[in-house]
Amino acid sequence: MSWETERLEKAKQIIEMYPQKRSALGPLLYLAQDKDGYISNESIVEISGLIGITEVQVQSVASFYSMYKQEPTGKYLLSVCKSISCEISNSSDVINSVKNFTGLSNNETDDENFFTYESVECIGACGGAPAIQINYETVEGLTPDKAVDLCKWLKEEEPEIVVADELQDKFGGVKSFDWAIADNNGATSPVPGFQTYDTSKEKK
Amino acid sequence: MNEKVTFTVDGKQLEGKQGQLLIEACEDSGIHIPRFCWHKRLDPVGMCRMCLVEIDTPRGKALVPSCTTQVSEELIVETESDTVKKAQEGVLEFLLINHPLDCPICDKAGECPLQDQTMAYGPGESRFIEEKRHFEKPIPVSDIVLLDRERCILCARCTRFSDEISGDPLIEFIQRGNKTQVNTFPDEPFKSYFSGNTVQICPVGALTATSYRFKARPWDLKKVSSTCNCCSLGCSVELNVSQNKMLRILGEDNEFTNQGWLSDKGRYNFEYLHSENRLLNIHSRENEDYQTINISDAIEKIKNKIKDLDNPDIKFIIGANSTNEEYFAINKFANSLNRNEFLSKDKSNVYFADDHIYNGYFSEEYTSATFEDLDNSDAIVVWAEDIKDNLPVLFLRIKKAVKNGVKLVVFGHTNTALESLADLYLGAEIVSNNFELKTSLSNIQELKDIIDSKKVTTIIGKSTPLQKKDSLDTLINHLQKVSDLKVFNCFSKANTFGAIQHIDQIKGLNEFCTEYENSNKNIVFTIGANPVNSSFFGSKIKNLLEDTDYVISLDIFKNETTELADLILPTTAFGEKEGTITNMEMRVMKQNKILPDPGSTLSEWEYLIMIAQSLGKDINYDSVNDLNSELASQFTMTEALPTFDNLNKPSNLFGILNQKEINLNIRDIDQDSSSLLMVKRLYGDSSTQINSPSISMLGSERFIELSEFTLDKYGIKSNVATLTQGSSSIFVNIKLNNLLPDNLVLAPINRRGFEKLDSTKDFDLKETKNMKDLSVN
Amino acid sequence: MKETLLLTKHMRENPEDSHSLKSYEKNGGYESVKKVLKSGTPEEVLQEIKDSNIRGRGGAGFPTGVKWGFLAEDEERYLVINGDESEPGTFKDRILLERDPHQLIEGMIITCFAANISKAFIYIRGEYAKPARRVQSAIEEAYEKGYLGKNIFGSSMNLDIVVHLGAGAYICGEETALLNSLEGRRGEPRLKPPFFPAVKGLYNKPTLVNNVETISSVPWIMSNSGKDYSSLGVEGSTGTRIFSLSGHINNPGNYEIEMGSSFGEFVDTLGKGVKNKAIKAYIPGGASAPWLRGDQLDVKMTIDDVANEGSMLGSGAVVMMDEDTNLVLAAKSLVSFFAHESCGQCTPCREGTTWLENILERVASGRGRLSDIDLLLDVCDNISPGLSWPPKMTTICPLGPSATASIVSLMKDFRSEVEVLLPKKVVIG
Repeated sequence: MSWETERLEKAKQIIEMYPQKRSALGPLLYLAQDKDGYISNESIVEISGLIGITEVQVQSVASFYSMYKQEPTGKYLLSVCKSISCEISNSSDVINSVKNFTGLSNNETDDENFFTYESVECIGACGGAPAIQINYETVEGLTPDKAVDLCKWLKEEEPEIVVADELQDKFGGVKSFDWAIADNNGATSPVPGFQTYDTSKEKK
Repeated sequence: MNEKVTFTVDGKQLEGKQGQLLIEACEDSGIHIPRFCWHKRLDPVGMCRMCLVEIDTPRGKALVPSCTTQVSEELIVETESDTVKKAQEGVLEFLLINHPLDCPICDKAGECPLQDQTMAYGPGESRFIEEKRHFEKPIPVSDIVLLDRERCILCARCTRFSDEISGDPLIEFIQRGNKTQVNTFPDEPFKSYFSGNTVQICPVGALTATSYRFKARPWDLKKVSSTCNCCSLGCSVELNVSQNKMLRILGEDNEFTNQGWLSDKGRYNFEYLHSENRLLNIHSRENEDYQTINISDAIEKIKNKIKDLDNPDIKFIIGANSTNEEYFAINKFANSLNRNEFLSKDKSNVYFADDHIYNGYFSEEYTSATFEDLDNSDAIVVWAEDIKDNLPVLFLRIKKAVKNGVKLVVFGHTNTALESLADLYLGAEIVSNNFELKTSLSNIQELKDIIDSKKVTTIIGKSTPLQKKDSLDTLINHLQKVSDLKVFNCFSKANTFGAIQHIDQIKGLNEFCTEYENSNKNIVFTIGANPVNSSFFGSKIKNLLEDTDYVISLDIFKNETTELADLILPTTAFGEKEGTITNMEMRVMKQNKILPDPGSTLSEWEYLIMIAQSLGKDINYDSVNDLNSELASQFTMTEALPTFDNLNKPSNLFGILNQKEINLNIRDIDQDSSSLLMVKRLYGDSSTQINSPSISMLGSERFIELSEFTLDKYGIKSNVATLTQGSSSIFVNIKLNNLLPDNLVLAPINRRGFEKLDSTKDFDLKETKNMKDLSVN
Repeated sequence: MKETLLLTKHMRENPEDSHSLKSYEKNGGYESVKKVLKSGTPEEVLQEIKDSNIRGRGGAGFPTGVKWGFLAEDEERYLVINGDESEPGTFKDRILLERDPHQLIEGMIITCFAANISKAFIYIRGEYAKPARRVQSAIEEAYEKGYLGKNIFGSSMNLDIVVHLGAGAYICGEETALLNSLEGRRGEPRLKPPFFPAVKGLYNKPTLVNNVETISSVPWIMSNSGKDYSSLGVEGSTGTRIFSLSGHINNPGNYEIEMGSSFGEFVDTLGKGVKNKAIKAYIPGGASAPWLRGDQLDVKMTIDDVANEGSMLGSGAVVMMDEDTNLVLAAKSLVSFFAHESCGQCTPCREGTTWLENILERVASGRGRLSDIDLLLDVCDNISPGLSWPPKMTTICPLGPSATASIVSLMKDFRSEVEVLLPKKVVIG
């Protein structure tokens, strides 16, 4: 199954941003994951054709980076940080509470394709440890209870757009720094919400 | 680059070239530094860290990989200090913690760099008590290569080879860090013409070849150097034999020719030697059936046939797989049968069974090229049959030259595989579907920029048998005029150059058909040739041979031509005979014998000498050595004569360049091509290949290539179609190739079913919905 | 002690909209670049940067002016901003990207003017989606105003900037790995030589790779002067630096200070102390840095002073670990990080870091062996011979040796915490 026209158009725009086609590989992988929830073999074939490298070269790059998912990922990707500042700030308790609530172990997706859970290395929220990302939107100063509340809220609200500022406001605590004015943009899939790749939307 | 520098290794003063890698400079001086990832034909990557040495730096001693460090004046190096030894031991321990140590069942054991270096540099015992990495083992990555990821030490030799050298990166690192593994993409196998090279350079038993798995231990192998005869490049090889069976062919690093690499055809096309289909006895047609007869009866029969005839008309159709010594003998014998003792050119009775052969550019006004010239040129200009399929290792040499900055100009339409390497690809706008030039070459500005006043090497030959020589004349005259030109005459088959050097006057099958038609049709010898199957004139020759009184075929397998023979003489093949061959640079190289003559086979020359002697001809050679000494003495322009003795000297191991006058007098085929472009693919239906089980399936796919435009013209929407010409109908897979001009359909002549097609006649192409329809039909 | 706000001044003073072009300009933004484009020369800019003595803020601390001076001549050259901030403990570039993207863009324009570059990239780690959005919005604002694109600010200068997101690979913070990543390849470090970015960088063209904080400093340096900048801080560590303070600390956050005061003072004043506990150990410069002990808090926060203590100021990430911290688990967390982030190219790092992780895992869970301390140290030694700092390496890049830092610290200063987890030596007889 090849990409639909709209995605191909976007892909072509992205390729044009770079002096060499291959540079667009990373962004194109995000395009793939945005629609499919992971990097499917069909998308690998498509991208291979778009930038003129072999399929296995695409796969080689895709599998190198931890944010390109090789297995189908849920609507909400829960990434709890376990690196040093979070580790010594009891991130393991947050990890346990999220695991317990979702019933998932590391890198697992539930049957409804709703949550995927992973524990991850440093997400740059050390001042607000322990921290979590939902579809790469950061929430800082989490407690085990607040983490469960967050998951419940996602379950109930099923927000189309995940916005860091909104989640932080509802469930966060200590922050790495003053976030100042709130942003309404966020992620619509388990890829970073970023306007250039059309993976971000504004929450009204 | 060639400036000498002096540096110190382990207290000894050594000399090297400025910019040379330390590991290589040390090797040249006899100091071996252990390594896994470094390979002298691949770009250094410094990944395995086995070659770490200590050098003095302004900030004290530092460990650096000797494969990425260049020698420089006054460099001070320690290769055996305690720090170096500790580092090497550490690296080996790291490599071994996840290595399965299944040496007892590993093909590589006994010739394994990991095993050898562990013995020499490794720690005594393992301190690793955790679980090793596990992978499914082994997995096939192609029809001929298997991958065991547990054994893999991630040196990236295979991935770099396929990316840098062969340019078909189908095998790659997947995942990262400790989870890194080598693999192919699902449903996209390692389908490379050169995949076997990765097996050869794998420093462990991770990549193995189906043809060699579990067949032998390295210490049981008998080995001899030789020269491959799969095409006219002349790759240096090592033949590995155990219990009189050829088990493996390895590439040898001949700086002048293959530089270590082989095509998979050259590497794996040997199992036929031991095929049960080999011709092992002399067959004589008695009434309708063949009877096995002995050699003296056979010679007697031939003698009588020739003697019975008054002024017998005898012709020879020869193939490309004979040695120079055999061609020399054929020439002697053919001449001796000719009524005219002083053979004149038009009286020649020897015809070469390759339709691509034509007069070429051999006269003194053309400077002939060597492969080294490819690297030293400013530009390479190719107009010939498909290089990648017919001279695969030449493709690698061109790719290497291009990588190093040499410009490449390619004329259409057979070398579409070179397009991605080319600086200038001259397709439909310049070259007609009949392979004529459409415009004056001096009008092409881009061409001018690349070749005018530059050093140019051209690889020139007929793209198809039907291409007219005029077009090539136009190109070469232009190149001669505007550039400093060196010329490769592109005849791709095995020892073609040996044949044209050693046979006084060779003609083509076109000449055979016209000259033979009006003759007495007494006797034809076919020697290692199957013109009935492989020639444009196949059906005509079939008729002519059927009308011939007595056909004698010398060959290693029964084929469409031997079927018409009255007498079949089984001959020895590659590895069973000693001799020399001449490659397309006119480099004479040695082929060696390592296998006994199977059954009742004899060398071609032995048969011919026996027949000559039975006829009372004064041709006396007791051994192939005698033939070699005499033929070698005919070369005058060379420093060392290509005698066995000279070729066996280490300094000449990689061949001796020579010159000899060449006379060809071959006419163009006087017919125009239709829109069917018939080309030879690397893999096909040759009897050697179909009798080599490991590669027999590789030439089985029936396909055609055409552009989207042409596909639309025929209204085909699926990926299978039916190609019909006269009474022949072939189901074919469709491959899109948009470099092909409108209306041209490319088809592989050496695939089963295609040999019946006539490239001068029209054809029809119809959509076949899918494979289901085929079975209904 | 007090902060000295150069880079974070605008965002502090204008929290409601510091990231917008309007706010940035209202507070003097883009004046530097206008001045430079109007009357400056590339040589003058380079001289100011050299005079400032600013050293790269990514971690290695290489003098920026010298780096710029190395850039080889070529028709095509690139600027790549390293915003792949992934060193555990570090979140300073995040605030610069999110809260003051125009400062970075202005710094980039000046840099490109100085180096005659017309195409630049900002490589931002994929997990920094919000910062990346803010930067992209700022770039769009700048294009609209004619501050980017063709003939910017009405000059003859052209500049295009592309924001490129990483995808979860710490190693891409290493500049040559970053370039591979930006070229659509695996983020594996390249060999130096021959791939020094200033000579053979992006697409094999000369390339400047600079950290977000480094280039964000350029507008201040140009609107004041290199000399003004170098008068701040101490010799060898001039100007200000943004330190990310985290761990067991009352007031974590990013603090922009002049280098030169002690860690103790920093922690006590700006960090408001460690939650009523003593500090057992601290990381002075990110996960790669060897630890310092709680009794070493008087060490001065300068590149050279920290180096003299056998560690490094690195990325400016200070992580405090109080007396209750399980240092074996802390070390394990750090080693796991490096094992997870090893690119896998070279043997010692690929195999060694995971092996270390496995051994620590065993030790931490009570399945250790008496020989494990020696084994851990010897495996470290096979990655980083001599276990000194700055490290010697058997590896291609410093990632592998970085993994040894915490183990060596643990064994050097806190060995008893490991020993209690191991079985007792039984003496028979």
